[in-house]
Amino acid sequence: MKRSEFLGLMAAAALAPSLSACGGKSAEPTAASSAGVAVSGDIKPREISWLLSRPANGAVIQAMTQIAKDYAQQQPGFSLKLITTPDRPSYLQKFQTLAAANQLPELFDTDATPYAQKLAKQGRMVDVKALLDDFGMTDDFRPAALDYQRFDDGSLYMIPLEFGIELFWYNKALLSKAGVEVPETLADFVTASTSLRQAGITPIALDGKDGWTLERYIAYYPFRLSGKEYVTKLKQGQATFAEDTGRAAVQWIKDLADAEAFQDGFSSAGYTDAQNLFTSGKAAMYNMGTWELQSLATEALPASMRDNIGYFTLPTVDGAKTASNEYTAPSGIGAAVNASTFDALVKDFLKYALTVYPKLYAKGGLPGPTTEAPVMPANALPIYKQALADADKVGSTALMPWDTQLDPTSNTLLQQELTLLAQGNLGVDEFIKTMDQAIATNAKKYFN
Amino acid sequence: MLPQRSRLSVVLFLLPALLLFGGGVLLPIIQSLVLSFFSWDGISDMTFVGLQNYQRLLGGDAIFWTAFRNQWGYLVTCILLQMGGGLLLACLLMTITRGREIIKVLYLMPAVISTTAIALLFQRIYSFDPAGLLNSVLKSIGLGGLARPWLSDLHTVLTAVSIPEGWRFLGLYTILLYAALLSVPQELEEAARLDGANAWKVFTTVRFPHIKPVWATTLIMATTYALRGFDVPYLLTNGGPGQASELVTTYMYKTAFTSTDYGYASSIAVFIVLECLVAVGAIIALTRREAD
Repeated sequence: MKRSEFLGLMAAAALAPSLSACGGKSAEPTAASSAGVAVSGDIKPREISWLLSRPANGAVIQAMTQIAKDYAQQQPGFSLKLITTPDRPSYLQKFQTLAAANQLPELFDTDATPYAQKLAKQGRMVDVKALLDDFGMTDDFRPAALDYQRFDDGSLYMIPLEFGIELFWYNKALLSKAGVEVPETLADFVTASTSLRQAGITPIALDGKDGWTLERYIAYYPFRLSGKEYVTKLKQGQATFAEDTGRAAVQWIKDLADAEAFQDGFSSAGYTDAQNLFTSGKAAMYNMGTWELQSLATEALPASMRDNIGYFTLPTVDGAKTASNEYTAPSGIGAAVNASTFDALVKDFLKYALTVYPKLYAKGGLPGPTTEAPVMPANALPIYKQALADADKVGSTALMPWDTQLDPTSNTLLQQELTLLAQGNLGVDEFIKTMDQAIATNAKKYFN
Repeated sequence: MLPQRSRLSVVLFLLPALLLFGGGVLLPIIQSLVLSFFSWDGISDMTFVGLQNYQRLLGGDAIFWTAFRNQWGYLVTCILLQMGGGLLLACLLMTITRGREIIKVLYLMPAVISTTAIALLFQRIYSFDPAGLLNSVLKSIGLGGLARPWLSDLHTVLTAVSIPEGWRFLGLYTILLYAALLSVPQELEEAARLDGANAWKVFTTVRFPHIKPVWATTLIMATTYALRGFDVPYLLTNGGPGQASELVTTYMYKTAFTSTDYGYASSIAVFIVLECLVAVGAIIALTRREAD
């Protein structure tokens, strides 16, 4: 970001109190949020905006652009302005600045974060559960896709537009070269990494720059040991890293660090760097969601990798509480509906959009938020189909990514400390002390 | 002394610029100052907390002080590159006659390239796997043992993120200092040389004292720029690994836009403003004292 842009935004943030004072009236929860999703008045076509954080030429935006065009034929004067910022930190900055100034557009993207829950509690978001019930569409959605968008109390304020499962992709040739079996338990990752390193192979390709990728790893042990329970308590300061479950998770990352599981210099490697490391046959394993199926399970993959690529799902641990078909199954960032601008037009457009979206999205070949079967691309490898089948079989308890669970300050620190832990710059006890202290201080601002 | 009417017209002509400056710079600073006495997440009610944010800033926030130390490390690298390197290059430019203009343009080029492009460029230069320019050169000259992931190593990351910023504006400061050197009276230099002064003596007794006012101005520019430095470190490492390249500015940004703690972020912003003022004051005081 340019310095001028940044300073401009800081200025905007500073000005926000006065802006919010001006826009104070629009912040009042409207009838829509307090009395379900009933709207009064006629449909008056106008331009509506959607603040998104999705790839500019991705399947969601392509489908929605088409839908808006078709809808405008029915409602002349209607248009949908899509404002996308795919880079998540930049997006959040825009989103939060607009929220502070009470200038959020009709539709906006957000994960089920503690911040979003604050907005929902203030009546600024339309109850999506009621909306989908009103449309009679709730049963069309995959339960896992809806669950991913829910807050802890089960309430639903975001519409899922994607769905995927996260898998461990591996290079069969590299594993057999090192005489390593596919990991069945999380502990196997450590022994496999040691053997792979001895054979001169980078065990795991990791995008360390984005933070969330490594954060997945700290979530795996607690998820297997306790399901959602540990993180739900941890984020509120009711559980600690010092207790057995937490310590096991931290120790596992330390063991991976000692086994040099991640590529050298992973902390400054970006998303595509990590993926290239794996697809070019230099790293043996790579943890990535099915949203990358086009790159990992089609002929887009380098020829030498096509016969060698395989995947396995999240390994287990001794005494696991979650089943082998339960792991991370995110439905992506959700779309929220601004309660203060919710009217007959927005409602009618959403109804139309959600009716035609599943079929349009399915053309992109990826599992969608509904049960509509995706259209397999012509160049798909056999594992493409296998991954889609696994997505349909995913269990009822899903791993919630910790970056959407913890309060944002603790989350930032966790990502930083995890990098140090995984690089071998930090000990287990030091990590535990820092993180427990941070969560104890910060959690109360979001959970009380 | 200007006549009354002229003074009025001067004020009138200055007014639009003053209003813009006031609205665009002073007002946000004042609002930040006000906001720094509140606890506010942007969406809930603001709560007055008095000096609590400053207490936390000065007393209890270890990350802030790490960031503060890093910012000074960043400043030193930038100043060394920009002022030291800039002066050296300017002096070297004085010694050549052919191709001077082309060299000046080439040195100035990075200043007009977008920061994002510079960050991407250096990401590649520092890359370890696949080996980037720096590590490849080290390996090819037999210094492969020094090759490392420069942006992941806690000992090298801060310097590694400072260098692009220093390099970027090196040309700008070179040109400024070069222009100042051109104004040094030739007869003084010649007289010194006739008296037997060597190149170093000419530089320390004739050239440098003459360009000192320009030197002080450029030093102020370089210092305040480095104290406000944000984009290259943010884009290259986002402050990491850990907080090894976290600057006060990147920390402020995260506090505001990740933690949505606008009150505390504002107190950091106020700190940066004061820090810049103190630094500039110190430079002016030092150069004045030397001049006396």
